[in-house]
Amino acid sequence: MRTLVFIPAWNEEGSVASVIADVRECLPEADLLVIDDGSTDATGERAREAGALVASLPFNQGLGAALQTGYLYALREGYGACAHLDADGQHPPREVARLLQEIYGDRADLVIGSRYRDPSKAESDDYKPTLSRRIGTGVFRFFLTLATRQRFTDTTSGMRAANRLVMALFSEHYSPDFAEIESLQLAVREGLRVEELPVRMLERAGGSSFLTPLRSAFFIFKGMIVLLVGQFRPRHAEASER
Amino acid sequence: MSGLLLAAASESPKVHLTSQTRVIAAVLALAFMGLVLELIRRDKLQERFSVVWFVAGLGMLVGAAFPGLLTLVADAMGVRDTNVALFSIVLLFLLGLALNFSVTMSRQAAQITRLAQERALEKANAQANNGKSHDMTRSSGR
Repeated sequence: MRTLVFIPAWNEEGSVASVIADVRECLPEADLLVIDDGSTDATGERAREAGALVASLPFNQGLGAALQTGYLYALREGYGACAHLDADGQHPPREVARLLQEIYGDRADLVIGSRYRDPSKAESDDYKPTLSRRIGTGVFRFFLTLATRQRFTDTTSGMRAANRLVMALFSEHYSPDFAEIESLQLAVREGLRVEELPVRMLERAGGSSFLTPLRSAFFIFKGMIVLLVGQFRPRHAEASER
Repeated sequence: MSGLLLAAASESPKVHLTSQTRVIAAVLALAFMGLVLELIRRDKLQERFSVVWFVAGLGMLVGAAFPGLLTLVADAMGVRDTNVALFSIVLLFLLGLALNFSVTMSRQAAQITRLAQERALEKANAQANNGKSHDMTRSSGR
């Protein structure tokens, strides 16, 4: 099956090239697209030098819009499966390959890589969440589970694999404000099979998280409103709004 | 603007405007409508956004010409103080207008995003097409 791996990147010049090289090594069959979300550093050039196809958004549009660009490309270019991972080196491509296996086997329409796995198997360079991150994760987990009646542990994971049903849905409907969570809610509401797979994630290689405590609180508050509103959205909404 | 004038003029529950204030209110209303027309003429305002402002100007003009109407409206709303009725109406009108602008902005933000995405994908496709010839020149060069 033709596969596209896309990597949203915003000012990740330090890590994007090594991520591309890793993906090449672990997923030699897949095509690679970097979505440069209006970076002000040399992210786009580094990605091009590393041999990836680069879609450069003319100005920063946010993660949701960047991911949607990838889904749109995958849909239009006729890929059977697609996957995305972060450009900061937190997501090992080997794990992305595992997510894709679920799509190839048609066991799910959308597969989420969850960073929360059995703690007894933890290794020293594994991902360790901060306190504010843990609180936020707990709140989102609770409300998303409530909204979808399906158990999710990692609601904001940026490592996912999808088939064409999901591409068609997300290329039309993908909230720019709260992409990760709302997209899960949307996919479940539209009757798609969403599956979570525990994966190994690493500490970020470069860049820093944008979350400060105050921002986290606002983030959580916004997420709850988004989820609440999402419950009242029409199902199978017409795709002709834009 | 006429609202302020009307409010200032009505110390008693009934609206009593002197002919002087009514003339000033009417002139301001006409000037406002003239400004709207001028903005359209100079392409600073699109027609579809101008209708609501033009109607607002007309409302001001009617208020200046027939101040008794406001008392009628206040009575219909069950408000004893005509000033309160006036301010409530104006406030609700502006609130609705602000919400309408937010809706317009949201739609345009979505359109801008899609435009940016289309442009990004075009660039990627151009790179893909160039890349093929580029790779050949690079391999023959070495």
